[in-house]
Amino acid sequence: MTSLLRVDGLAGGYGDVTVVRDVSLRVDGGQAVFLAGRNGVGKSTLVKLIAGQLAATGGTTTLDGRDMTALPQHGRRLHGIGYAPQEGVVFDDLSILDNLTLHYPDRDLNRYGDLFRLFPRIEERLQQMAGTLSGGEKKILSFCRALAEDTPLVILDEPSEGVQPENIDRMARVILDQKARGRAFLVVEQNLTLVEDAADHVYLLDHGECVFETGRSNDLREDLSKRLQI
Amino acid sequence: MDLILTNGMNLVYAVATLALIALGLAVVFGLLGVMNMAHGEFVMLGAFSVYVTQQAGLPMLAAIPLAIAVCAIVGYLVEWSIVRHLYSRPFDTLLATWGLSILMRKLVEAGFGRDYKSIDQVLPGTVDVFGIAYPSYRLLLLAVIAIFFGLLFAWYRRSNTGARIKAMVSNPQLAAAVGIDTARLARMTFVFGVCTAGLAGVALAPLVRVEPYMGIDYLLSSFFILVVGGLGSLEGLLIGSSVIGGTDTVISTLFAKTSGYMAVLLISILFLWLRPDGLFSRR
Repeated sequence: MTSLLRVDGLAGGYGDVTVVRDVSLRVDGGQAVFLAGRNGVGKSTLVKLIAGQLAATGGTTTLDGRDMTALPQHGRRLHGIGYAPQEGVVFDDLSILDNLTLHYPDRDLNRYGDLFRLFPRIEERLQQMAGTLSGGEKKILSFCRALAEDTPLVILDEPSEGVQPENIDRMARVILDQKARGRAFLVVEQNLTLVEDAADHVYLLDHGECVFETGRSNDLREDLSKRLQI
Repeated sequence: MDLILTNGMNLVYAVATLALIALGLAVVFGLLGVMNMAHGEFVMLGAFSVYVTQQAGLPMLAAIPLAIAVCAIVGYLVEWSIVRHLYSRPFDTLLATWGLSILMRKLVEAGFGRDYKSIDQVLPGTVDVFGIAYPSYRLLLLAVIAIFFGLLFAWYRRSNTGARIKAMVSNPQLAAAVGIDTARLARMTFVFGVCTAGLAGVALAPLVRVEPYMGIDYLLSSFFILVVGGLGSLEGLLIGSSVIGGTDTVISTLFAKTSGYMAVLLISILFLWLRPDGLFSRR
């Protein structure tokens, strides 16, 4: 079976500093793959390389058989890689409405119907400037924006950071629901509850390298907890 | 009473034309962060478009598409070949566009000579405004500038492209993540900025000296306006134009032209010192 996302030997970082070294991973359609690891091991850098925000110094990224490695970030989005970053998650100077619709020619809000039912506070404050939201609310707005896009792959970087537990549960439900429809997810996450709820496969990173991987199992949480304490 | 009305009209005219002149720099510097030292030279290209069309026996309106075409082509090439490589290096863009301004002045000087060009008056005569005779062309210009800024405000606030430009300025990495081609949008924004400078040159050509070095004054006044008004907002542009244009007109009328210029300089220095973000900065 051909994976939706194939990352082979990916390397890169910031300027002369290499953060990610020779990482390979696979994400199939309908699968949620999580990236775990302590702070500063290169998880966010890896997804920035896959999303095209950073240029890779080695390796390849292919989506559905198409080589994405040379494409700029907006090109990768147009070819099917959605991305919600860890930081700078919204356009602070724009309204919530603009944040949700500016990248659609029709600016239609109907695509957010299901998400608005789960996160009604977003719909209630469409005219509010996004910069006035709390950190957790910005994360929810970013999550909604990325989930409503019609990309076969969604990359989420720390989606639950600062989000209330009940909203994290709702995020997990959305991911499970969209997975069931064949959508793929690559998620950087420290919240092991979300990992336990939604992950089909987990890669553990350390010092910019993939040091462990595991599929879904009953003792996934315990296993990861032990390894993250190393 | 007539004197007050005349000076009042002149004040409005000074503010409006300054806002029009500074608009291009406000777009390029305010939104893209590029201190385009060749801004005045794009105004000069617009003014020379009027000279060329009049020399060819064409009506002045023909200068509008000519100025847009010339400024768009030059602007596109400049952005593509120079500016896009320097977006995160403001001092380098300043030096590069300063060199470009010299090149543009010298090329126009080589083609047209150093002397002042005579531009035929368009719409000569006066119109009675509140009992005073006011030049028809100035009045037309005021109306055109008011309509142009009104449309520009509405477009920037409501259009998808306006929202995308704001998104690109606010968070370029996120803009790219949602699929916006920020490099192309920045290029189009730069081209739009220099084209508005060219259009300002067209509009003002019948009223000002037209020669290859005319752009330097416009660059300075545009810069002072952005210092006072702040970067990144049309409100700031209009407020800055009002402060600079108003100060210059009032002081020049009461004392002398040099005093007006000194007052503008003093205000700009005070803003740079005490309020470097200006009155309406959004950057």
